[in-house]
Amino acid sequence: MITQLPIINLLLFLGMALIIPLFKKRSFSLTTNLGLGVLFLVWISSIVLLYHVITEGAFYYQLGNYDRMLGIELLINTFSVLFSLFIVSLVIIIYIYSTGDATEGVAEKEYGRYYILLFILLFAMLGILYTNDLFNTYVFMEILSITTVSIISIKRKKENYTAAFRYVMLNEVGSLSYLFGVALLYMITGYTNIELVSEGVQSGWSLYPANILTAIGFMVTGIGIKAAIFPFHIWLPDAHSTAPSSSSAILSAVVVKVYILIMIKILFRVFGIDIIQAVHIPTVLLVIASIGMIMGSIFAIAQTDVKRMLGYSSVAQIGYIVMGIGMVSMLGLQAAFFHIFSHGLMKAALFLSVGAVIYHKKIRNVNEFDGIGFQMPVAMFVFSIAALGMIGVPLTTGFISKLNLGLAALDAGQVVLIVVLIVSGFLNALYYLPIMISAFLKDNKDQQRVMRVEKIPKTMLVPLVVLGGLIIAIGLFPGELLSLLEAAALSLT
Amino acid sequence: MGLFKKEGKTCNMPYVKKKGFFGSFTIQSSLVVLFALVFIALFIIGVRGDLGILSFVQDIYVLRVIYDFLIHLAILPVIIIAFPVLGVFGLMLFGRNSCNSRDMIVIFMTLFTILFTLFMYPAVLEEGVHLTIPSILWLGISFSVDMLGFTMLMITSLLWLLVMVYAHEYMKKEMHCNRFFVFMGITYSAVLGTIMAGDLLTLFLFFEIMTFASYMLVIHGQREDSYHAGYNYIFMGIIGGFAILVAMMLLYFTVGDLAFTSGIATLGELGAMKYWIIGLLVFGFGIKAGMAPVHVWLPRAHPVAPTPASALLSGIMIKLGAYGILRVATSYYFPLEGTPGGDPVWLTTHAVGSAIIWLGIITMAVGVFFALQQSNIKRMLAYHSISQMGYIVMGIGVALYLGDLGAMGYAGAIYHIINHALFKSLLFMVAGVVFYHTGESNMYKLGGLWRKLPLTATVCLIAALGISGIPLFNGFISKSILHHGIVEAHYYGHGLFYYAELIFIVISAGTVASFIKLFYYVFLRKMPEQYKSIKPEYNNLDTAMAVIAIIIVFIGLNPRFIMTTFIVPQLNSMPYSSEFVQTYIVGLTFFTTEDLLTMLVVVIMGFGIFIFGTKFHLFHLKIPYWLSLEYLVFYPMNWVIRNACQLMYGDECKYNEKTLKRLALKNNKEIGFLDRFVIMANVFNVRYEGRMIKSDAFIYTVFITGVLVFMLVMRAL
Repeated sequence: MITQLPIINLLLFLGMALIIPLFKKRSFSLTTNLGLGVLFLVWISSIVLLYHVITEGAFYYQLGNYDRMLGIELLINTFSVLFSLFIVSLVIIIYIYSTGDATEGVAEKEYGRYYILLFILLFAMLGILYTNDLFNTYVFMEILSITTVSIISIKRKKENYTAAFRYVMLNEVGSLSYLFGVALLYMITGYTNIELVSEGVQSGWSLYPANILTAIGFMVTGIGIKAAIFPFHIWLPDAHSTAPSSSSAILSAVVVKVYILIMIKILFRVFGIDIIQAVHIPTVLLVIASIGMIMGSIFAIAQTDVKRMLGYSSVAQIGYIVMGIGMVSMLGLQAAFFHIFSHGLMKAALFLSVGAVIYHKKIRNVNEFDGIGFQMPVAMFVFSIAALGMIGVPLTTGFISKLNLGLAALDAGQVVLIVVLIVSGFLNALYYLPIMISAFLKDNKDQQRVMRVEKIPKTMLVPLVVLGGLIIAIGLFPGELLSLLEAAALSLT
Repeated sequence: MGLFKKEGKTCNMPYVKKKGFFGSFTIQSSLVVLFALVFIALFIIGVRGDLGILSFVQDIYVLRVIYDFLIHLAILPVIIIAFPVLGVFGLMLFGRNSCNSRDMIVIFMTLFTILFTLFMYPAVLEEGVHLTIPSILWLGISFSVDMLGFTMLMITSLLWLLVMVYAHEYMKKEMHCNRFFVFMGITYSAVLGTIMAGDLLTLFLFFEIMTFASYMLVIHGQREDSYHAGYNYIFMGIIGGFAILVAMMLLYFTVGDLAFTSGIATLGELGAMKYWIIGLLVFGFGIKAGMAPVHVWLPRAHPVAPTPASALLSGIMIKLGAYGILRVATSYYFPLEGTPGGDPVWLTTHAVGSAIIWLGIITMAVGVFFALQQSNIKRMLAYHSISQMGYIVMGIGVALYLGDLGAMGYAGAIYHIINHALFKSLLFMVAGVVFYHTGESNMYKLGGLWRKLPLTATVCLIAALGISGIPLFNGFISKSILHHGIVEAHYYGHGLFYYAELIFIVISAGTVASFIKLFYYVFLRKMPEQYKSIKPEYNNLDTAMAVIAIIIVFIGLNPRFIMTTFIVPQLNSMPYSSEFVQTYIVGLTFFTTEDLLTMLVVVIMGFGIFIFGTKFHLFHLKIPYWLSLEYLVFYPMNWVIRNACQLMYGDECKYNEKTLKRLALKNNKEIGFLDRFVIMANVFNVRYEGRMIKSDAFIYTVFITGVLVFMLVMRAL
């Protein structure tokens, strides 16, 4: 039974997406409650799977019982299960928020469509994590980008269309680059199953270096576009800032991370450490990560729209993760994984709290945040916790990420990366602190200084508090998570 | 969320005056202070076995059980850290409607901290209090209190109690008192944690909390200048924190442990890395300590904070920077106990020490020079804090530089930490009282206040005599020990330190001149008309100040008490030559003719500087604007950008002239370094963001070609 759980998870999400239109005539809360039920089911099954994988080891699942040479194969190991659990947990929190937020700016008749898209998004993300097949990954990736485009453009505004169009064009280029890489690998090995391809690549490396080299180049670049790694970040700020707040949170905290996880899979499982080191991909990654960490923050400093600022901040934070990957060591990978978790939590908290401000006060400009802390204390407290985490203050997850990354950098013998890390942290402080200061310490002329919990739906407040609590809790006791992540990193090789 | 409910008018809420002698807040808090002092005295006397107090406690069963339980309580550090936080919750819950009960909660929480600190004394005397809490923050945190920590704890908690007593009265005239006391409590907790930290991670954790919590104290006034000062404070604090973080990573990576006992064996073999580590640590802690090149936040932040906060910032918090340097240097860079004097580990310490001595000397000089130029009392005191921190840092430098003979510098540094905490907070309190009654803090506009505020004038005189190092007051003791230290550095070490000693003397004279100036302009002279109506009554302000003044005189008259109780046990646990400690520290005679003569020279020079300076208007020098960093960096940058743009685009140059012009502003008060950086980022953004977004296909092509070519080339190589 347990071995059937992965496919059940996928089908649950797909099924949920399909039945939402059937409830069109019923009350909308029925849909959201049902969706929440499905999410919880998948959450529980992910926990069961995680326990199973840790105690009994990884297992394969052949779709339709076809042989792995022909059919699609799912690989359920610590890596895939842990990250699917992370995605589902984070999405549950954001989902609960989105039911209260009324997905700001979306027309009421579009609600159903929004949730359909959300569940297809989840289906695709879980599929990407589970699958052990390069071409299947491409299929899920396409599903994911098309749903993302629809979510971005669901607001029916001109700027959304522009952002969505730019997103779809760039991401298509990325997908096609990836597909080109897969084709090159298929040419050499004759398979698309990751393990078989990997064997073929190892043995064919001396025979067809040019093919493999080109394949690496195209695949890394293609996924780099989708993961918004620095020079390709150009679509991200617009897309993430125009989308409804809850989906900005999902896009920034989860979707981008999924692409990074694909990159990790490809680099470590398909090509292996030896080959990527032989072609100096780590150097490329470290360089673009470092530039991204600095430039993302510098662009963020100059933003006046708070959601655009958060988008650029994501660009910088993705740099941290890529940096961890680029170190090509166990420690680096573990640090990158931890930062995926910690950035997921922090960025979700930031987008959701800012979303609450936008929902309640209709303020988007960072210069208008004066005194907001008194009108919306919970949202701004959570914002502050997450922002301090971004700076890397102890007691938050951000500090543990920074510590891990720093130690990994020393382990890799790259002291200069620590300097980049510190400079980037300082630049983060430069744009997050003024917002906190003006929210809590400056007076708003129209409002009196009375601190009162904001009147926004409870379904928005509770997720915010939970996120803030999680940031501090994991920041205080990261040991368990780190050992799980170590197991996940080990399961990759 | 009722915390700030009454915000904005909290402190204007009626202070109900209860009838009766014991009903008045002043009397109550004075009694609390008295109780604390008596308890401290009894406890120390008891533990040292005099008067048979301990045997009295031992005889009564219940007392004995309680006593034994308390002194063997392993979680005492956590309790001590938790008390201020409990106080914060208490004042949020109960203190909402009455300022008196709120302030009583604050005072009592401080009192309990003192009592629990005292219960650590027996354990500290033996092997110290150690507590490890694994798994928090991944690496686990730990607490450890030895005599050095205990000394810091004592001075901190005592001073905090007095300042809280003072704050009750002072904060009546400020807004948002609840917020003030909440963050005061958090800061207190963080300060205690910093002192009791058993490893660098714990120290860093509490240090960061302290930085952020005390930011709220700095910015409390919420005026434009407090925001500027706060901006400076928080960003310098963050930079310092990052420096410590990097040092911590390097240390953990190379040694594998952060506890304050390790590192000796492996650090010796590290080569240049050990200098990087100590350099970063000194830089990081030095920012908090107000060390010379990175002191710039201090003279801005301390004056704008409300007086109780500035008293504690100058009295306690900057000391934590010095404490941090001392702690890491003595634990990581000192050889193990009992190793012979020629231990190679001393070589590193020697090199580090000589750098620190010079840093201290520069800090002293910079502080005093700028202090003489100030007209604002609190700014002047802040500059003196820098200068006095220079003394302490110099002492630490001597303690490191001379290896196993550095006990004199160590003793001087610790002694001066204690003394400076006392007289500098007292001086800030005096400045606060003057401001409280007159609303003026420019000393040139004040005068003759000794008639109106006789007690304040007296304590100010005592504190001024203390800081100037006049015999019979506490400053004399520590300054002469420090003087001995620098003379020894010259004697046992390098000849160059002869000049350091000369500078030391001149700076002490500058300090004297500066406080003659302060006392003359504020309390003597002719009184301006508008202050003739002041009618002060005895209140908490006076209680707090009087107690500190009494302690200052007590230390000045009994120099040996602090030495034998607090400092000699520390020296004995350090790898200093015990022979040296016995002869020169335990057997140190104060008030020798030589010391007194040096002091006489200093005082005469001080008067000379004061008279000379007032005659020739040397106290109002203007520092040229082009010397500032902002100007040197951004003016050329602005020039280059503008001209390059003109050259490339001619009249179509897209830069917004207005924003760019702000970059080159000559006035540094309006626009600081970071502001200019933000403007640069804006200019950059306007210029390149859109262009970058539009050139997506180009970026893709360039990148993929670049990567492929790079891989091919690297493979071919």
